[in-house]
Amino acid sequence: MIDLRPVLSTIGALVCVLAAAMWLPAVIDFRDGHEEWMVFATSSGLTLFFGLALLLGTRVTNQRRSVRQTYLSATFGLAVPGLFAALPLIYGPLQLSVTDAVFESLAGLTTTSATVIRGLDALPRGLLLWRALLGWMGGIGVVAMAIAVLPELAVGGMQMFRLEVPGPAERATSRGRRIAASILAGYCGATALLALALWVAGMSGFEALVHAMGTISTSGASTSDASIGHFDSAAITVLITFGMILGGMPFMLFFHFLRGNRKIVLRDHQLRWYFALLALGTMGVSAWLVSSRGLAPLDALRHGALTVVSVMTGTGHFTLEYGNWGGMPAAILFFLAFVGGCAGSTSGGIKVFRFQFLFTDALMQIRRLLRPHAVLIAGFNRRPIPEEVLGSVMGFLFVYALAFAMLAMSLAFLGLDFVTAMSGAASALANLGPGLGPEIGPGGSYAGLPDLAKWLLSMGMLVGRLELFTVLVLFVPAFWRQ
Amino acid sequence: MIDIRPVLFVNGFLLLVLAAAMGIPALVDLSAGDVDWKVFAVSSMVTAFSAMALIFGTRSKGRPSLSARQAFMLTTLAWISTAAFAALPFAFSNLHLSPTDAVFEAMSGLTTTGATVIIGLDHAPRGVLIWRALLNWLGGEGIIIMAVAILPLLRIGGMQVFRMETSDKTDTIKPRITQVATSITLVYVVFTVLAALGFWAAGMGRFDAVCHAMAAISTGGFSTSDTKLAHWSTAVQWVAVFAMMVGGSSFVLWTGPWRRGRPRIIDDAQAHWYLMFIGTAAGVMALWQWAVNDMSLGIAVRHATFNVVSTVTTTGFVSTDYGAWGGFAHVVFFILVFIGGCTGSTAGGVKIFRWELLFALAGIHLKRLLHPHGVFVIHYNQRPIAPAILDSVQGFVVMYFFTFALFALALSMVGVDFLTALSGSAAALANAGPGIGEVIGPFGSYRPLPDAAKWILAAEMMLGRLELFTVAVLFSRSYWRE
Repeated sequence: MIDLRPVLSTIGALVCVLAAAMWLPAVIDFRDGHEEWMVFATSSGLTLFFGLALLLGTRVTNQRRSVRQTYLSATFGLAVPGLFAALPLIYGPLQLSVTDAVFESLAGLTTTSATVIRGLDALPRGLLLWRALLGWMGGIGVVAMAIAVLPELAVGGMQMFRLEVPGPAERATSRGRRIAASILAGYCGATALLALALWVAGMSGFEALVHAMGTISTSGASTSDASIGHFDSAAITVLITFGMILGGMPFMLFFHFLRGNRKIVLRDHQLRWYFALLALGTMGVSAWLVSSRGLAPLDALRHGALTVVSVMTGTGHFTLEYGNWGGMPAAILFFLAFVGGCAGSTSGGIKVFRFQFLFTDALMQIRRLLRPHAVLIAGFNRRPIPEEVLGSVMGFLFVYALAFAMLAMSLAFLGLDFVTAMSGAASALANLGPGLGPEIGPGGSYAGLPDLAKWLLSMGMLVGRLELFTVLVLFVPAFWRQ
Repeated sequence: MIDIRPVLFVNGFLLLVLAAAMGIPALVDLSAGDVDWKVFAVSSMVTAFSAMALIFGTRSKGRPSLSARQAFMLTTLAWISTAAFAALPFAFSNLHLSPTDAVFEAMSGLTTTGATVIIGLDHAPRGVLIWRALLNWLGGEGIIIMAVAILPLLRIGGMQVFRMETSDKTDTIKPRITQVATSITLVYVVFTVLAALGFWAAGMGRFDAVCHAMAAISTGGFSTSDTKLAHWSTAVQWVAVFAMMVGGSSFVLWTGPWRRGRPRIIDDAQAHWYLMFIGTAAGVMALWQWAVNDMSLGIAVRHATFNVVSTVTTTGFVSTDYGAWGGFAHVVFFILVFIGGCTGSTAGGVKIFRWELLFALAGIHLKRLLHPHGVFVIHYNQRPIAPAILDSVQGFVVMYFFTFALFALALSMVGVDFLTALSGSAAALANAGPGIGEVIGPFGSYRPLPDAAKWILAAEMMLGRLELFTVAVLFSRSYWRE
């Protein structure tokens, strides 16, 4: 049997952090003279109680975790806080059902911007801040996981991003600490800078903060039902677009950048593809906006860029309601939602590097057809890609496709139509948020879906966020055997 | 520079076969007293003349032998040239199809896709009907020969697993092709005759029985009625189910020595998966129809089985308008198109064997997460699979989805709506035929699509039929360099 104590203590620590975070909305509501501060305070107390109980009840001296314990911590470290984060939503003025509340809080923590709440503009500020905070904390959690945990576990080809540690173990921990510090600093710094810029561009201080959090974490939290379209300002659109692009970039680059290693940023293959795909998608959608919707070229470019970036990085901000565009833009956005951002970023999806690996390998295949006996090796960032990494990536892609197919079929089985089921499944797995079609498209809400569909989508978001295999491995019988 | 004389020489022979085949519809029309027989006769003569010109113009001494490069070019060129000549009767017959429509119809026939632009089949002259069925049948024959004799030697998409033991380790293609081709053709003809007898016994007219037998065994899907198989009785539909299932199984396994007193196909891993998969999908669909749409159980089972088999074997027959079955059916049929039949059959799609290997690959990745240093080997039909083969399969599947996405985007760019673009691209790539939605749905037609879309789809059908790499390799630089 696996020793569960270290797992529980990790979860306890995370729940405590959540309890502490609940004080921020409580304070805001208290200052606004809104009664809801009591809900947040009570929830915080309850959460803290459970968190401390877990943390203190399972304290162990040895903090080293085995591989199995890490998998358990990762999965439940996201799921359990998701349940506690739902408390203020259930007992707040919204009176959401348990299903809706858990859906909403998991959507926040997994940086998906799927929502069941309509009428954001009239909501108390505490709740708005809480949604943004969930996304923001989820974002940093994901980055930490993608940089520190997943490469060690060798999930889906992430082993290519193992930190190269020269020298003995003590230096490794100190280097790890420095990396963590610089990434946290970069994350907070980027959020603060963006908030400042948005404030200068004309948002109120509170709106700027919420949007900055929602943008850098690619969680898409907003203060309005119309998202960025509410502000109708070119400057804000452009700023948000850049913020999202940043959120979809590998956060290790902060570390390299802060250390003055600027060249590595320009040389990174993944980034090149990322920008190329963004540019191509933007061109396609903007061209369509000009020709079919008669927008002025500059406006089309602005809206097109925001939409494409938002979908590809899995953010979920929007200026135009693209759910009923149909035709070419729908196809572009649908496929880009699968691509996702870079590895080690807050964005979801399959990730650019996996496509790169497989594409270079497919090109190798073509050459191998002509020269059956040549030794040809696919490379990435001037390093060869080992055979088993390609196998991992392919396994990941296969399971992703399988999960998508199963989720889409289950949703359709519950009575959703083709476009809603397909785009909803794709959107949940990629941690994007809005789908296509009239119901769950941007500006729509998931509230009208059957309860079971919401639970399935919540599972989809969780599984997608944890890169599938982290959850899947728990279901292997060998996992529980010693 | 590649010596293209042997390529053109063989190509000439294929055209000669086509010219001979045109004699059949000419005879049918002549006996029915239709003036269209002249069109077929003239087309036949034109084709025969071109074929002769190619054969005598490029004849060389000794037996022609093809290198790998020449084989790649031959397969692609053969499909293009035969489609072009096969389009002649469509263009000049009473139907007066435009050149685009004629080529689309011919390509759809030869690739055993079954997508049609002709409306009013019930009243079309018999010559055209039998010509369409013949195209299916010849295309099916061509594809089995290719899958058995050429693709394994060219190492396309993991097909080297199916390489015949004797023809190993040689880069030129000559050996047992004639022998294998003869026995497979025999099996193919026998099954066609059996299917025709079955259809006839089930109550079809003789002419319709022959046409449908040819279209079913080749998994082509051209019918003699606009409503396809919905036009006929229950018994006919069940015969069609079995005929299609035979068409989607590996033909090689029906030939050759029996082992342990039974044909090899009974012990084949791929055949097991094939049956299991069809059984599951049909069961779920029948359940849905019975439970949700209140169809009586017998009818639900028949329609579900028929349409699932038709989709998985990429035939394209339709027994009822499953487009009206609701969102779940749409999603399921959309996903089923990607599965495809067995290798060495006339079916298209990714093929069951590749899914099996991918499934095993994902399983190994999962195991490796728990045992990072374990050594795992994938077995297929009790034989270990070499990493190079896995690599080919990965490359193929990636290219498949990449092609699907690219062509869906291209379709949406020429003005096709989202649903049609997505399902049309999937259906053309898998050589399935009907898609989903108002336009190209089960009882729909490809006629209303813009001309550009038809060309795109025709190209995609050919790509899918030739397993992508055969064509893709022609576009690599190293192919043309010596």
